[in-house]
Amino acid sequence: MKSSNWLVGLGLLPVLPMLAQTPTFTNSIGMEFVRIEPGRMVVGRFQPPHPKRGEARGLAWTDADYQLAEKLATRDASPGFPVTIARSYYIGKFEVTQAQWKRVMGSNSSVFQGEKVSGNADQHPVENVTWADVQVFLKKLNRLEKGRTYRLPTEFEWEYAARAGADDDIAWAEIRQMAQLGTRTTNPVGQKKPNAWGLYDTLGNVWEWVQDFYNEKLFANPVPTRSGKQHVLKGASFVGDVKNATYLTHAAGPGNGWDVGFRVVMETN
Amino acid sequence: MLFKKKGVLAVLLGGLASLAQAQVGSIPAGFTPIFNGKNLKGWHLSRTTHQGTTGNFHVEDGAITLQQHPYGQGGVLLTDRKYKNFELYLEAKIDSFCNGGIFLRSTESGQAYQVELMLPQGTGNLLGEMLPISQSVQATNLAKVWKPGDWNAFRIRMEGEVPHLTLWVNGEQMWDVTQPKNDFTAGATEGMIGLQLHWSAVYSPAARAFSMAGSWKPGGAHRFRNVAIRELK
Repeated sequence: MKSSNWLVGLGLLPVLPMLAQTPTFTNSIGMEFVRIEPGRMVVGRFQPPHPKRGEARGLAWTDADYQLAEKLATRDASPGFPVTIARSYYIGKFEVTQAQWKRVMGSNSSVFQGEKVSGNADQHPVENVTWADVQVFLKKLNRLEKGRTYRLPTEFEWEYAARAGADDDIAWAEIRQMAQLGTRTTNPVGQKKPNAWGLYDTLGNVWEWVQDFYNEKLFANPVPTRSGKQHVLKGASFVGDVKNATYLTHAAGPGNGWDVGFRVVMETN
Repeated sequence: MLFKKKGVLAVLLGGLASLAQAQVGSIPAGFTPIFNGKNLKGWHLSRTTHQGTTGNFHVEDGAITLQQHPYGQGGVLLTDRKYKNFELYLEAKIDSFCNGGIFLRSTESGQAYQVELMLPQGTGNLLGEMLPISQSVQATNLAKVWKPGDWNAFRIRMEGEVPHLTLWVNGEQMWDVTQPKNDFTAGATEGMIGLQLHWSAVYSPAARAFSMAGSWKPGGAHRFRNVAIRELK
């Protein structure tokens, strides 16, 4: 008897649905997925820190400035809203690579290939793809892999998987371990530390398209907007900064193009 | 013939001198306005800059006015159009202890050559924004011409695949520099004009970030008027 089954038998691991299915999956073209189980999170919590007199060094602020900072930070703070992820799903362990894009599409519009990168660009994420280009990729992938349903993650699915159970923002020190930031080009996927659920490059490397329209606000609406001029981008890119390479960032296209890619969700049957 | 050439040269030099000394408050001859003084038509917010994506950017008393929104979140206002070789003219009125800048050949996420706007120190310096540039320059003569608490005129020329940049403030040349190479990640030779407002607070104390509060004094603003461009070949 496996130790985990033994623990379940004793009622110490109430995770039977999780053990009943494979936690990872690799499809016919080598795309690896991690299974994400249902759960809850709070989205849109905004508690900007502001300096207090005596704490801050080198600030040429008056008492009135400190008071105004407190007033504005309090005025703009938001507790966020609860989001329930009701269904399990598989999400790409890595950003979609140029090799995978070529396999499905027969072409590659990425800027960072050939002489623009050192080594083989195949393991770099595909970039320079619009949201509409990605829909074409998904249509072809769905045809290629009959019986499975692939799509972009919703913003909430993306954020839930990227947070990997975290209930607040990620610390800068951790971002630096996990994210490809401040490099001159894209980087091969999977080189930095994965998050707690085994996903790589959720922060940094390339921005990732999600399914949702952009609402032109700091965070998503509790009920995502059903129209808009642009779609949402998550996760920041290699030209991003530790400031916005957090799973909280709610950005939008078009971006630079050459630092915009995606990862894929596969629905559970 | 020689006399004639000298005459033409004298007229040209005279023209340049009058351009350099143009009265603050009006767009110099030969420049085309890229801000209509009424609204932000022809401009848009970057939605991928780390400075912030929801800044309070609006027109007030005929000037583009940049303020934070919400607290701590700045942003970058970009022209819809890209420019390659150009001279940019604008007048700026900037509050102290508020860090901003004029972006040149900016990408959509705000990667750019930057003329810094920061008082009491830093204004007129050439830097890179999300771009390590080969040669930074300081505007060491700024104090000679700067008008505190008032409108100040910036004229910036940028040309060449390997960028050659020149800055004049209130008609006085601050620096003239040719970068040893094109520093852009994807080798861009054109880009947008951008106006930057720095971020000063993160989303949550859980980020355990260092304090950037000094980069934007609460309630502060940067204002721009008479924003105009002259495209060069």
